[in-house]
Amino acid sequence: MAESIKNESVECELRLLIDEMAARSMSVPPGDNGEGQAVCENFAVIHRLASEAGLEDVAALAQSLQNAPLSGDVTYLRDAVRQIQEKMETTTLQHKISKEVPVVSQEMSLADPELVADFLVESREHLVAAEEHALALEKEPGDTEAVNALFRAFHSIKGLAAFLDFDRVYRFAHEVETLLDHARNHELVVTPAVIDAILASADFLLRCMDAIESGVLAELPATEGIVVEQIRQLISACAKPPENSNESQLAPSCVPVASTLEDDIGALVGSTPSVASTTPDNGNPELPLTEKSATESSPSSARGKGNAERYSIRVDTDKLDYLMDIVGELVIAQSLMRTEIMDKSSTNWNLTRNLGQLTQITSDVQRTTLRMRMIPIGQLLQRSSRIVRDLARKCGKPVEIEIDGEDTEVDKTIAEELSDPLMHIVRNAIDHGIESPKERASAGKSAVARIRFSASHEGSQIVVQVSDDGKGLDRAKILRKARERNLISNEELTDKEVAELIFNPGFSTAEVVTTISGRGVGMDVVRRHVEKLRGRVDVESTPGAGTKFIIRLPLTRAIIDGLVVRVGESRFVIPLSSVREIFRPAESSISTVQTKGELVLLHNRLLPIVRLHRRLSISPSITDPWDAVLIVAESEGRQFCLMVDELIGKQEVVVKSLGQFLKSTPGVSGGTILGDGKVGLIVDVQQLEVRA
Amino acid sequence: MNNPKFRTGAAMQAELQSPTATKPNPVLDAARAGKYLIFHLGREQFGIQVLKVREIMGLQDITAVPHTPTFVKGVFNLRGKVIPVIDLRLRFHMPEIEYSPRTCIIVVSLLGSDEPIPMGLVVDGVAEVINIAEADIEATPTFGSDLDTSYLLGIAKTRGEVRLLLDIDRALTVEQFEAFAKLSDAVISGAD
Repeated sequence: MAESIKNESVECELRLLIDEMAARSMSVPPGDNGEGQAVCENFAVIHRLASEAGLEDVAALAQSLQNAPLSGDVTYLRDAVRQIQEKMETTTLQHKISKEVPVVSQEMSLADPELVADFLVESREHLVAAEEHALALEKEPGDTEAVNALFRAFHSIKGLAAFLDFDRVYRFAHEVETLLDHARNHELVVTPAVIDAILASADFLLRCMDAIESGVLAELPATEGIVVEQIRQLISACAKPPENSNESQLAPSCVPVASTLEDDIGALVGSTPSVASTTPDNGNPELPLTEKSATESSPSSARGKGNAERYSIRVDTDKLDYLMDIVGELVIAQSLMRTEIMDKSSTNWNLTRNLGQLTQITSDVQRTTLRMRMIPIGQLLQRSSRIVRDLARKCGKPVEIEIDGEDTEVDKTIAEELSDPLMHIVRNAIDHGIESPKERASAGKSAVARIRFSASHEGSQIVVQVSDDGKGLDRAKILRKARERNLISNEELTDKEVAELIFNPGFSTAEVVTTISGRGVGMDVVRRHVEKLRGRVDVESTPGAGTKFIIRLPLTRAIIDGLVVRVGESRFVIPLSSVREIFRPAESSISTVQTKGELVLLHNRLLPIVRLHRRLSISPSITDPWDAVLIVAESEGRQFCLMVDELIGKQEVVVKSLGQFLKSTPGVSGGTILGDGKVGLIVDVQQLEVRA
Repeated sequence: MNNPKFRTGAAMQAELQSPTATKPNPVLDAARAGKYLIFHLGREQFGIQVLKVREIMGLQDITAVPHTPTFVKGVFNLRGKVIPVIDLRLRFHMPEIEYSPRTCIIVVSLLGSDEPIPMGLVVDGVAEVINIAEADIEATPTFGSDLDTSYLLGIAKTRGEVRLLLDIDRALTVEQFEAFAKLSDAVISGAD
């Protein structure tokens, strides 16, 4: 045991050294021989440590890399470090697998797959909640409710794992539970290191869940040993219980609780059942361990978790989708019937009144069905704040997170799709926007930077804002980079236009490609992602004071405001979010370029005309632009005009997929059922845009 | 498109000798035996496994979709879902005819990557549902490179009538559509 702990701590040291080398090799400027040499000398240290830890392969590689001549090329250095990292991963993984007990024991094959599925769902929920509580606890180290909630979470997972014979998960959860037990009994001071350990534990267990789900043992993360080591160090470092009576009262009650748990678990796992324990509530031996037995015997813990949470049940999203389709049909059928009846018997007072009732009820049903897919955006923002915390610590910039409007509801699919863009924005904010503590001090700002997430409803949209109090967008730097890449020619740009430049593909002002961001893919990916969700993202910035990103999205992905137009015999729907203006041009404002490209003069700007009938290969009823209707559309910051025969009206439409076969059809992004029950195609504005 | 099902050694041997005298493959035939819905396109009769058929309906209002293969008539509304409709005559390179009162749409369930994909097929008329035994099914003969018959499960002879058994999943694949979509991309982006 001692041997393996020693090995693990040497391994730990080795890993830290390799990580540090990786970071430094990234920051070595090209062509610098001196700095590069210094980093190379570390290979000797790696060799020594690896031999000590018994990782021969890594030691051998380190030696060969050390002896190879350094050509002064920094890519050689980075490559070498990467090789060492990979070697490290594969070697330690093999060691772990050969040494440790597998995640799932032999009895796994007997475990009911349904029970396993339930276990995974519940455990993941516990782990997500645990992350939330850990972050709350970090902000407020005296928050007993958070500590108790954390304890309960890991305790539950431990119990479930025991029930299903997941030995490794059980043992690991036990370690974390012990740590948290000390914390909730005030035997341990909650420091950031403790929070780190808790978060690392949650991460490890989440990956265990994935491993169990895919049944692939070899994929198990190798960091288990390190985390266990951290936890044990923290536990042994915690202060002895003080002599006052209150504490000593608590301490003894811990022990019988622990032994009760062991006994119950022993009974479940099939070893000889032990004598009844001292606590009154033994719980039903057949049930997996619930927190009841633990909380009832420990006076300091809070009440059971059922109180504050709302009742909820899990529903298959397929059922919800089907329900939405059918409800859509209900609305149409009802409105068709209404039109018929009103035409013929509008004088029948009873009939009219009953029909009115029906309409009311139908709208209500539709609205409620839509709301069923909505979840509070708080969960999504919570995940982002975890990323902020980790990044901030990595960069050494203390950051405080504020969340506003976490109860704002948004469609589940939109919430899922928003997480990537938010992550990019946050990374940029921390990496580029927020200054180091020194810079902030000299600028007279508070040492701790602030990042604020806020979500709110605005009409039929949801608005998510991410703002920081960093140094704002560097106008000069952006302009310089844009000129370097030949993105702009006109020197006079308004502040807004300069800000827009960051959304350009391939744009990045980071001098060095760090592992965090700066690879130049961040902002344009964000914009494209948001536009795919039929939303828009804008940025506002004040130099020296901070930057704010504003994301606007339709409330549900399923319904959009559309403009129904006619081209030839067919009807199409243009998403209103892409429409800027509608007008009928005068003949004099139309001009042609080389007899093929058509332009129209609007508000002193020339916009290209896209003939929808030509792009969609339909024969139109109107061929001259001045007899037609022009719709100014915008996509990715560029404007152009769509030419249609007639404008039919504005309508809220339910977006329906065209199915696997037709979804890649160019020019159309989906279909909808129009008021008369027929299908109308939704136009994909982005694809119709004129390409240079 | 080679249908690996028919390329058994025995089948190849037999084909070289005589196009119709193929040895029956018991494993294959067992999979093909069962209930079939019989419909016709012109004078040819076809059969689709009943398990794949969701429903049969009369002609509906079909909305044309631009830039799709000619045999795609468009989409229609099936109880709130937007379903594509294929004209089988055009798919099998038969001349198009005007729709009659007997023309109907068979809604089938195609094999999808996660879940079944509904698809409507326009046919000239639907006849009956019959049980076809293994003994009545023969492997599809090859007619050289003139005709692509890879989408046929086999040919059934029952009561003197010949029915072509359709492997509808092979006749319509997502890849075919995607290839076509790529071709139309040039038109849609305005490369006149």
